[in-house]
Amino acid sequence: MDYGRFVRTRQPLWDEFEQALGRARGGAALDHSALERLAFRYRQVLHDHALAAARYPETGSARRLWRLALEGTQWLQRDRGTGRVSVLRFFTRSFPRAMRRLGPHLSIATLLFVSSGLIGISLAIVQPAMGAAFLGPEAMAGLREGRLWTEALTTTIPPAVSSSAIATNNMGVAITAWAGGALAGLGALWVVLLNGFMLGVIVGATLPYAMTGRLLEFVAAHGPLELTLIVVSAAAGLAMGQALVAASDRPRRDVVREASRQSLVVLGGCLPWFVLLGLVEGLISPSPDVTPALKAVLGLTLWLLFGLLAWNPFLREE
Amino acid sequence: MSDPTPAIDRGQEETVLAMDNIPLALPVAGIGSRALAATLDYLLVAVLAATWIFGLLFAGSRLETRIGGGWTFAIALLGLFVLEYGYFAGVEAVTGGRSFGKWALALRVVSRDGGRASVGSLLLRNMVRLLDTLVGVWFMLLDPLSRRIGDRLAGTLVVHTRAQERDVVVGRIPAGWGAREVAVVESLLRRADGMDPARARVLASDLITCIERDDPSLLAGTPADADPLQRLRYAVSAS
Repeated sequence: MDYGRFVRTRQPLWDEFEQALGRARGGAALDHSALERLAFRYRQVLHDHALAAARYPETGSARRLWRLALEGTQWLQRDRGTGRVSVLRFFTRSFPRAMRRLGPHLSIATLLFVSSGLIGISLAIVQPAMGAAFLGPEAMAGLREGRLWTEALTTTIPPAVSSSAIATNNMGVAITAWAGGALAGLGALWVVLLNGFMLGVIVGATLPYAMTGRLLEFVAAHGPLELTLIVVSAAAGLAMGQALVAASDRPRRDVVREASRQSLVVLGGCLPWFVLLGLVEGLISPSPDVTPALKAVLGLTLWLLFGLLAWNPFLREE
Repeated sequence: MSDPTPAIDRGQEETVLAMDNIPLALPVAGIGSRALAATLDYLLVAVLAATWIFGLLFAGSRLETRIGGGWTFAIALLGLFVLEYGYFAGVEAVTGGRSFGKWALALRVVSRDGGRASVGSLLLRNMVRLLDTLVGVWFMLLDPLSRRIGDRLAGTLVVHTRAQERDVVVGRIPAGWGAREVAVVESLLRRADGMDPARARVLASDLITCIERDDPSLLAGTPADADPLQRLRYAVSAS
């Protein structure tokens, strides 16, 4: 077929495809037959693009067909999961499934967190200067006078401010722990080890002043879930990091993509809880009006609620 | 098989297999255009953040007396957090891969096969932006497809989107002419309006001489003293 004949016979089809695609991209509703016709024309345009690229390269028709093929591919070919996202389905199915797959990484992250916490406690007991380095001289002076630094939350900062500051800070830590997984898991490891160590040192620093009970009383309402969420976020980061560095039978591109998506689902399931925890930590934890027992019950309830959602016992495996 | 992409458009490319295993070259955006798009986006984020802060400062006193207890500050803090982490992910998820900066520079995020990226992929590539602001540029410099960490994790590419330009396509050519000759004619007709008129007429005259030599029947009915560009357009027009 010569070039002139190719253009004369096929151009009406390209025009039709371009117009139909323009209407569809402009938001026009397409019924089933119109969509089917558009897809059929797209296929014809792709074939014409292949012919023009091979036989008439650098011509106007090759340029136009390339552009049409690109636009058609971008509109008609969609990645999996391009449709609507259901929040209910996310929290009742996607999130628990992703959490179940995270089991080994969660065990490792928990082990690392607890180990670094124990090291932190031991070091703070042996080297009291360690506690001062983390808490600062003012907090240490307060401990000597029988005051926890957390009391400032109720005396100097309005609860609304402390709640939002705590929530945004914790979400930032969780996102950093998760995103740190993209550095071959090193960032996630750093966050989990540092947080465990810091918690250990702080607990260790309060021991000589017999203030540990009051500290635990302060964290009872928000601590269990907050620490769990940070460890879960870091575990999700570790899973992503493992996919980046560990050998597999499947192409690394596919493995990384799947692991990243699963870990993002885990992070997405954790983040909303930080808002709730920010309110608890800013309003309830420092409040002297709420009894320690009630704070402990609240902390346990929140932790159980998260656990129930995360492992959804009613969900059957696919 | 020859390269399917016209030379004039050739930049960074990724050839993928579209339907029926037909190769399709994706015009991948380089680090320069992506950095410029990101700069525009961060400028917008800065403007939005400043507007948010000043708006709350302006309304703060009235708001504070109504709801009290430092809630204005709390709302400001939450708004800034949402802007910092949510602007890119939210805007790209809603627009199908185009932030303000990408829209301004005609870029779009697509999946590795050139299709529309999923919401999950768009969220994923933006949630590691914090990390990419630190090391993403180095990853982009080392990668032939200019992918940052987020693109690698989400399996996405950023491509140029073509302007809706109407390519000149000739419908008749002299017998024996190949793609190269056709490309020369189409290139002149496409650029003629922006060229020096005298220069365009000289080039059109040269091409008419070639048509007269190879297939004079195409020029039948056109006066020899007519404008060379008009004669050329008539000669190659399908109608």
